[in-house]
Parts: sequence; structure tokens; C-alpha cells
Amino acid sequence: MNGPTQTTALADLQAIRAFAVLTLDGRKWLLPQAEVQALESLLDIDREVKIPGSIGAVAFAGEWWPVYCLSGELQVLSHLPDGRRACPLLDNGADRFGLVCDQVETLAAAPRPQPLPACMTLPDSPIQALVLLNDGLGCVTTTEHLAALIAAAPEKADG
Amino acid sequence: MAESAAWVLALDHQLRAAVGERELAHLIEVPILLDVPRSPPYCRQVLVWNDTVLPAMDLAAWLRRQPMQRQQPLAGVFAYQTRPGADPEYGALLLSGIPTRTRVDDEQVCALPKQPNHWQSLAISCFRQGDQPIPILDLAHIFSGGLL
Repeated sequence: MNGPTQTTALADLQAIRAFAVLTLDGRKWLLPQAEVQALESLLDIDREVKIPGSIGAVAFAGEWWPVYCLSGELQVLSHLPDGRRACPLLDNGADRFGLVCDQVETLAAAPRPQPLPACMTLPDSPIQALVLLNDGLGCVTTTEHLAALIAAAPEKADG
Repeated sequence: MAESAAWVLALDHQLRAAVGERELAHLIEVPILLDVPRSPPYCRQVLVWNDTVLPAMDLAAWLRRQPMQRQQPLAGVFAYQTRPGADPEYGALLLSGIPTRTRVDDEQVCALPKQPNHWQSLAISCFRQGDQPIPILDLAHIFSGGLL
């Protein structure tokens, strides 16, 4: 059973035709393609420009965009694991940041997001829906939910 | 004396529970389980049934408050209704053996087992089979987030 808010959010996601697939430690996270502003190289990350939780920043469109590193389980990491190759810049109009990923690709066909089962929905879950992909399962999230998760991470780390 | 049919489920090597005869929809031997990050430890995986993603819940792990090692996973797909007249919804439970069918009458009613001590959150009633109490699962509560 899913509540009205979740049902509305799912309907919004189902209306989105294009998703980007961000691979983190082999796990596939889907974000609306419209929220991917640009794709940067890891070489463009300035490791000296940091804010709490970030691993550096990228200069883009006249601004510094903080860059974060998340594990496949979306834990904020302070180091860059082997295998990270790309840095998409995410922008939803309110939140702007880069996220280093193993791989970034665009889904060729519009997926069919299905609700995350109610019994699996923890209060702080960033997963908005699940998608069956040819090679497994993808979790749908948004820049807004990733930003909230990143913002909450230092508090959790501090206990 | 009312009598009805039920399926007795092996939640692990020891724990047993029951559902109504019509609640067990399908049995999947060696299910393909897909991990879902940031989900509860007793429900970390889903399976795909009829092109639909279903939660694969390990009630033994929830009852024992620890993850279970399963050698030969088996999953049952169960139907439930969140209210009378609603369309059926589905969820899966991880099992340790093939369910067995039984008949239950009112005289078999008994108290829930005292251990593990969380059965009251899962069960709507209980009946005795031999010397073993068999809780009857409240599937709608379980799959609607009642264990979170």
C-alpha cells in the first residue's frame, strides 16, 4: 500500500521519458536526464576547493560546483574509489553538485518505474521507484533526494 | 465448528507460520533475488513476478533480529488485500521448505508463541498443530510497512 504522496511522485516519474543511469560501485541509480547539466572529467576536479563532505569542486558556468563521492549504497565517501571515471553535474534549479560515478549512460528506452514496496521504504530512503533494466535492477532517485542525503550525512557521521 | 484450509510455512529450520489457503499464489524455487540498497535488513531484496517487482521478505530474520543464511532459497508469492473489496496486492516471503496444507478448526486456537517475542506484530491469530503453535500471518500489515 502506498500513500497519496508516493503515488503522486510515482506518477511524476512515470511521465519522465529520459533517464540517466549513474553506476556507483556496480549499482545503477537512475535520475531524470534533465537534471544532468553536464558531464565532466575527473581531471577537471580541483581537490583544493572543498566544502564539508565534498572531495573537491569543478568550475562550470562561472561557478564552483562541489563534487561528492557516494558508494553504491549512497554513503558519502571522503575518498575516490578505483573505477570512478566520470563526473556528471546535477542541477535541479535548487541543488547543484557533481557526483563521481563509474559510468554514466542514457537509457535508450523510457523505463516503467514501479513503486518501491511500502515494506522497504525507510523514512530517509532516497529511492523513489524501481526500474527493471536488461541487466538488473535500477533505483530511481532525484538530485533533490541526493542533496538531502548528502546534507544529512555529516550529522549522522557526527552521531 | 468452523473449519478452513491453510498453508503452513517454514520461515526457517524452526519457525512456522500459516496463511489462508487462497493467500499463497505461487511458489518459486531458486528465485532470482535482486538487492535493493538502503532497505531494511530483513527485506533487502526483491524478485520479479509477472513483470512486477515484489518485496522478498525474510520474516525469520525480522523475528530473530539477525540476518539468516539460506542454503536453498525458496520464495512464496502471497496475495493480500489492504481493505475488503480492494484489488489484491502481492508480496513474497523467503521460505525454508515447501508449504504444507492443513485444515484448521476453531478448537485449535491458542496463544501466540512467547519466543521470539515479536509475533504479536505479525500475526492475527494462532492455532495449535500437534504441540506446536502456528501463528497466522497478517500479510496486509506485513507488506504495507507495518514492520518498519
